[in-house]
Amino acid sequence: MSRNTVSRRSLLGAAGAASAVSLFAGPWQHNRVWAQGAAKPLRIGITADASGMYANSGASDKRGMAMAIAEANERGGVLGRKVEFVHIDTETTAATGSRVAERMISREQCGFLVGAVHSGVANAISQVAQKYGIVYINTNSSSPTEAGQNCHRVKFVFDGNGTNFAKAAVKSAIERFGPDWMLLTNDYVWGHDTAAATKALLKEYGGKVMEEVMIPQGTRDFTSALLKVQQRKPGVVSAAIGGDDQKAMRQQVAQLKMGDKPAWINSQQDWDDVYGLPIETLFGVFGTTWYYRLDLPGVADFVKRYQTMYPETAMRSPGNVFYNGYMAIRELLGAVERAGTTNNIAVIKALEGHRISARDRMQHFDATIDAETHQVQQTIYLATANKAPKEKDDIFEVLSQAKAEDVRDTDSARLCKLEAYDKTPTFDA
Amino acid sequence: MIDLLPHIINGLTLGLLFALIALGFTLIVGVMEVINLAHGSLFAIGAYFALTVIAGSWFAGTPFGAWWLSLPLGLRYVLALAIGPALAGLAGMLLELCLRPTYGKPPLYGLLLTFGAALVIEELIRLIWGTGEQNLALPQAINGAFLLNGMIFSTYRFFAAGFSIAAIIAVWLFLERTSAGAVIKAGAHDSEMVRALGYDLARLRLVVFGFGAALAGLAGVVMVPIWGLRPHVGVDIVIPAFLIIVIGGVGSFWGAVIAALLVGLAIGITGAYAAAWSTMSMYLLLIAILGFRSRGLLGRKSALEH
Repeated sequence: MSRNTVSRRSLLGAAGAASAVSLFAGPWQHNRVWAQGAAKPLRIGITADASGMYANSGASDKRGMAMAIAEANERGGVLGRKVEFVHIDTETTAATGSRVAERMISREQCGFLVGAVHSGVANAISQVAQKYGIVYINTNSSSPTEAGQNCHRVKFVFDGNGTNFAKAAVKSAIERFGPDWMLLTNDYVWGHDTAAATKALLKEYGGKVMEEVMIPQGTRDFTSALLKVQQRKPGVVSAAIGGDDQKAMRQQVAQLKMGDKPAWINSQQDWDDVYGLPIETLFGVFGTTWYYRLDLPGVADFVKRYQTMYPETAMRSPGNVFYNGYMAIRELLGAVERAGTTNNIAVIKALEGHRISARDRMQHFDATIDAETHQVQQTIYLATANKAPKEKDDIFEVLSQAKAEDVRDTDSARLCKLEAYDKTPTFDA
Repeated sequence: MIDLLPHIINGLTLGLLFALIALGFTLIVGVMEVINLAHGSLFAIGAYFALTVIAGSWFAGTPFGAWWLSLPLGLRYVLALAIGPALAGLAGMLLELCLRPTYGKPPLYGLLLTFGAALVIEELIRLIWGTGEQNLALPQAINGAFLLNGMIFSTYRFFAAGFSIAAIIAVWLFLERTSAGAVIKAGAHDSEMVRALGYDLARLRLVVFGFGAALAGLAGVVMVPIWGLRPHVGVDIVIPAFLIIVIGGVGSFWGAVIAALLVGLAIGITGAYAAAWSTMSMYLLLIAILGFRSRGLLGRKSALEH
């Protein structure tokens, strides 16, 4: 036999090697097998904004996730694997979110994606994630569409949405301040959806919309809108204005001393948007999912852990954005543990319908990850400015807490059509 | 039908604030022929230094810090109005020194350098002052609100508009009535001739850039009590400022002022009737004006038009 002849053994070896390589190639064929060696870390892609309208909230979101990852690693990792993260700035821009998601999946080899504040960005990321079957957790964007018409099998939504907050606030506000409402609506998906939810509830409870003023994203001067509010004289102004726009609006309402009259209902007030501002800018009633001074087990310890981990951070007390980022990672890793595998479909099933005790959530009532919409149904708090703070950061006064079932977004449940499991690419992270 | 007058007043005050922002920008473009994309960052630097002066945060916990905070807020605010722009001016001079290697090269070099500088300055702001929202405290005399014809208006907004008028007149007097102003204007018209007459062109450019940056810083101190203060606040002003100098005619002082008033009015009036179009209105104004007059309202004719 010539030395150049291919032996049967080497042919079989080559075929075996080729088969092994083909299993890893793809990168995103159905049923892809990724290396599951115990030494291979579990990589999470953090898709948090570091610039643009939600840069500040994005930083808090990321800090929350990083703390949950650090704590998981202190406990020995997940399924014996260390947890790592990669962060790329999504720039509060949907197109960038899409690009970042593609890169994290195909080049950074992230097995899970977590993070978002802007609904457009979250939607863009989730479309990419669904294409590859990557489990994605939208931590902080609260447009009802995220768990409604834009829901996906791979996406889970951890924040309360505009409908939840509107349900908690609208009925009692009509009774107290009258039926004449004016809406200030940020002219993008979250604003539209939140306003739509408010309008539906106004119709249901006998309120009426005198006028809706659309506020373009990036507006810094609200004087025109505030002059219109004065001219129309509504009983209530419901503002669905987010991020930097909201900060500018708050400042200008405070300057005009219009915070007390008319009554203001702000869908959700992210902690990061008001932290450090004078208390007079925190007017009206607003929603939140968590407050650092809730008198509940685990809260004080959680705050202490935050302060220990981030001693240099100017924000000395964590807020709802940090909390959502932390909870998202903790529940994701918990689902991997429960599933006993990183197979995406198994992880999705472990998350769907999962009930989280009030104690674990550090909220007043138990929460559930809705199996139909993938949104976390949770306690919704209404709060206002705290006129008698116990310490410098104690700027919220929690007025009420609503049970998840009382504020459930039923419209989303009707609109959400999750992809079938067999239509979702499968793989092991 | 809503009453239009309050919206016209609002548009005019907004226009005056825009004019203050655009003044430094037009000066730099006119003399240096550099589109300074870091103009917004210099605006932010002025505001952040003003914040430090007013809040005394760098000296917190020290005897000097305690003494500083014991000074009346009004005095600290006046000092901030001087120190913030002065330090922004120094930062502008530093930027001009970095720009020197790009002179004589295609405009893209200067554009990219100032864009890079804007990113660096924003990150420096994050490192020094933090990422969160900040608040510039105002003296009681110019804070609050007043009633005019049954409508509530912000006192500070009118103070800021009045301040802008004063600043516009001061800059105009400086350019028209002083020898230094004459040299700057000549530099904008024909820099080579200025050099031939024995003036140090490099120094002129340094001074003009510093002056333009100081005006950006001044606009920052005046504007942030209305717009709020955050590291990327400067990004919000670059586009309106650029738009205004193009509408007004590149390098034209009064062109910039008139354009700023028109942009303010467009935003104010659209805000009353079709708020969703208020941001778009300034772009439509740009298209409308450049469609009829490509060099802007008061821009010089190009050689091709002679």
